[in-house]
Amino acid sequence: MSSIKRWFVTTNHKDVGILYLVTSLFFLIFGGLLALLIRVQLLQPGGTILADAAYNQTVSAHGLLMVFWFLSPLAFGFANYVVPLQIGAKDLAFPRLNALSYWLYLFSGLLLGISFFQGGTFSGGWTMYAPLNVPIYMPSIGATTTVLALLMFTASVTVGGVNFLTTIHRMRAPGLTLRRMPLFTWTILLTVWMMLFAFAALLAALMILSSDRIFGTVYFAATDSGGSVLWAHLFWFFGHPEVYIVFFPALGVMAEIFQTFTGRRIVGRKWFIASMVLVAIQSFMVWMHHMFLTSINLPVKTLFMATTIGISLPFDLMVFALIYTTIKGKIRFKTPFLFAFGALVLFILGGITGVFLGAVVLDYEFRGTYWVVAHFHYVMVGGVTGLVGGIYYWYPKITGKMYDEFLGKVHFALYFVGFNLVYFPMFLAWETPRRVFDYPEAFTPWHQLATVGAFVLGASFLVMFYNLYASLVTGEDAAPDPWRYVTTAEWAVPSPPPLENYPGRPSYDGGALQFLEEAGPRPSGIAAADGGAGTRTDGGVAATADGALAGGHDHEESHASIWPFGLSLAGFFLLVGLSGVNTGGTAYVALTVAGFALGAYTLVGMARESQTFHGPSGPFGESWPFAKVENMKLGMWFFLASDVVLFGAFIGSYVFIRVAFGWGAWEPVPHDPVPGLMNTYILLTSSFAVVMAMVAAQKGSRNGVVASLLVTILLGIGFLGNKGIEWLELFHEGLWLSTNVQTSTFFLTTGLHAAHVIVGLFIALYMLVRAWGGAYLDDDKPVEYFGLYWHFVDIVWLFLFPLFYIL
Amino acid sequence: MLITADGNHHTGEPMNTGVAVQSVVQIGDLIPRGTRMNVFQSIYWVFIALGTLVGVVVVGYMVYNAYRYREGGSHAEDGDDERPTLGEIPTGGGKGRKLFLSFGLSAVVVISLIVWTYGTLLYVESPVAAQESDQEELEIQVVGRQFSWEFVYPNGHSSFELVVPEDTRVRLVVTSDDVFHNFGIPSLRAKTDAIPGQTTETWFIADQPGEYQAHCYELCGAGHSGMNANVVVMQQSAYDEWYANTSGGGGNTSDTSGNASENGTRTTSEALTA
Repeated sequence: MSSIKRWFVTTNHKDVGILYLVTSLFFLIFGGLLALLIRVQLLQPGGTILADAAYNQTVSAHGLLMVFWFLSPLAFGFANYVVPLQIGAKDLAFPRLNALSYWLYLFSGLLLGISFFQGGTFSGGWTMYAPLNVPIYMPSIGATTTVLALLMFTASVTVGGVNFLTTIHRMRAPGLTLRRMPLFTWTILLTVWMMLFAFAALLAALMILSSDRIFGTVYFAATDSGGSVLWAHLFWFFGHPEVYIVFFPALGVMAEIFQTFTGRRIVGRKWFIASMVLVAIQSFMVWMHHMFLTSINLPVKTLFMATTIGISLPFDLMVFALIYTTIKGKIRFKTPFLFAFGALVLFILGGITGVFLGAVVLDYEFRGTYWVVAHFHYVMVGGVTGLVGGIYYWYPKITGKMYDEFLGKVHFALYFVGFNLVYFPMFLAWETPRRVFDYPEAFTPWHQLATVGAFVLGASFLVMFYNLYASLVTGEDAAPDPWRYVTTAEWAVPSPPPLENYPGRPSYDGGALQFLEEAGPRPSGIAAADGGAGTRTDGGVAATADGALAGGHDHEESHASIWPFGLSLAGFFLLVGLSGVNTGGTAYVALTVAGFALGAYTLVGMARESQTFHGPSGPFGESWPFAKVENMKLGMWFFLASDVVLFGAFIGSYVFIRVAFGWGAWEPVPHDPVPGLMNTYILLTSSFAVVMAMVAAQKGSRNGVVASLLVTILLGIGFLGNKGIEWLELFHEGLWLSTNVQTSTFFLTTGLHAAHVIVGLFIALYMLVRAWGGAYLDDDKPVEYFGLYWHFVDIVWLFLFPLFYIL
Repeated sequence: MLITADGNHHTGEPMNTGVAVQSVVQIGDLIPRGTRMNVFQSIYWVFIALGTLVGVVVVGYMVYNAYRYREGGSHAEDGDDERPTLGEIPTGGGKGRKLFLSFGLSAVVVISLIVWTYGTLLYVESPVAAQESDQEELEIQVVGRQFSWEFVYPNGHSSFELVVPEDTRVRLVVTSDDVFHNFGIPSLRAKTDAIPGQTTETWFIADQPGEYQAHCYELCGAGHSGMNANVVVMQQSAYDEWYANTSGGGGNTSDTSGNASENGTRTTSEALTA
């Protein structure tokens, strides 16, 4: 396979990890250049390099790029590369979905890049407050593209989250119980749990916003019905967990580096983990502290003040645990440790200044000022500092070469000085209003220091890029363990690790890591069981990881898939098209259609490939608490869990708007509940039909499977037909998406449900074709997984029907 | 979440907070009160002092340990009998007691700080209940729109400059005509969100006559950077005179809305040239 083609078709976790790392550093440069532009503008009060709209676009894109396209993906580069190695897995549970996450991420970033050339990118800040984010106030097509880019990024995160959750929960080596997991893996596990729910809320917010921008619904423009505050709730419900989502992986990297370079095990390990679990849960209960100056009342403020202080305390424990780990250490000040140590110092400063914000009376005055800017840069870029330590820490493992230690230290010195020079003066000039391109004369020295610091910080990365690039060629070869006192499994294999990761089956059953001899070829039934939607393929498929050991090249071939790239490209075309489709421009319409067509083609291609493409197969060592659930089923459950939050956010938005409007004064949009009632019965019946299909598959009745699936499809079509008639009537009465807030919520929420039905129908149609060919008779699992989805969609309707037709 | 949909309860239930404030008052005079500037200053400097102290101690201790236990230093062999090994099952090191002691200490500091400021929050949220005399209060409506602030007085007079008397509590009832803004007068420590479709409240007492600036603190569009307004604090007599001249001006009120955009533009361009 040619070396360039390899990167387009790879599904290997180490390759995807490298792609993530390199791409995220590219977006660091992109976001960093924007930051330098901001600092150049702020060199003098009254500067005019970037005024008004240009400045707003710059700060918005800078924030979005750094938070979404740089920070998390950098962390997920490490997660991809290191987590499977640490837990003893040969790859992630769903290798093609992993590649899909990456390509969705890359193309979403390209979308954001394109938005600059469509009349200007989004200019309302990374918090995208409503109603500034709707077309009346921000009409550019580029703003829509930005929202869609974020939507695509969210899809990437959701797919990736499901993948990591399944992998970490199901595929640990024997003896590696959850309690024994390395800290970096722990932080990633908690990060993806938070991602699963937080990004589902963001997805809802972005879907509604996209609909407001493209289809003309009036959620966020409905300021008389709380539309403005609704956005703030949705955004911060996502936004606060997001802080921990970007910080936790850095914490994990810091914990690993501290242990290695002090030669000590972390102090209070179980309390460290308990603290992180607590933070992960509580992170969903603090969001209103971003809204202390909105109209929330005193009891609510008090509650959120308490939860906010509560969430800061576990971090105290974590910080002290790291500090005490250095005691009795044998500390080696190598570059990774310098960065991890520096990150802890910065995080402590960020934490202390965060306590200021926890005092509501002070928060009132800090709101919208550089205090907030300085504080969250200390925390978030503090996290970046830890991750940069991770770059140096794992560079020898990933490349097999040592970086240059002297240049590494130069990088740290410039970085640490630059960092404090750019962000500390912001505390001193904290009265400067945020996102304003001007400031009072009195603050000039501080802002000039900050500008100088920004350039020093930026230059320090040039040193890093040079070091990493030159060391690829001139660096010494790295031993499997170049550091000493490491404990985790990635250091027990060569640098870089071979394709199959381990020389044998990793196990901790004997009290420490061992590589057991590979068990003999397993019955292929087990191999295929986790493969998912395909039929069992008897032998012949060298796609299982075991097969790989027999013939490396085969492995590579069989683990190559172009469909993740193709599908993401299709999504890219589709979203570029959608961004301007309401302008009626031919190019936009054509791109939309082309994107749809390519998407359908690639989805079918990917589904067909499932019959021969299998992820790592069990049995795995530790799978608590999901030992009895196969990977595919568990993945489906995780996906549905995020879908619950998505619908929950839609229903919550509806209830919020309706309460603000006046619950009783709100008339349901359909005057007649009968079509809705009919549809309830139709969907319930279709759920029985799916159950019948499964029963028929278990009994080995091909005709039974075909007939039951056919009934399911017909009922689904009936549901949509009935709904279509109902919508058409409403349309003729002059009620449509954009008519008012009642119709907007009705059409969009039930429309989202209808879209779920349509997706289900396409899957059912695909399965019908395969069932006709005799599939599923000896493996009914795909029918079962489809059934899970279909039942879920039915259950959602049971909530929507009373909410939108009866109450 | 549902409660917050109602914009008219910014100050909470006065009854409850009133009772709470009274009980807090009995605790002592530790709770800063007075003008918003007094309140902010006293809390801010306590936080700065304690924050600096904690920061210096903690970071100092970190650096001290890192130096003391450096490789090649005289203490580097201290823990040599228990270094981690490759492939071991991860476990924790000791010193749990020390960890909890430090954690407990930091928790006490943070929680007492926040509880202390909470008394002030109650005062700020409901100053009337905490007040000794039945001092008069001036209520002014503030309307934000891209990119200007309009102030409406009890007599219906409206202007783009906020004129208030000194030593009087001014209550601002703030809303927006278009997008989400935030109205703040930094020197007087008054700030609140200006949310379309809702009202929020804030208050301040200016104890020095003079000119101040109000800014918008939430990104609100192209002219956000220049969305400022003048705030003029007058002596009571001067204010009374000024106010008397406005009260008759019903016509004054009606033509201001027409001036809004014009005035807004002027403010923006002023800021740009400043």
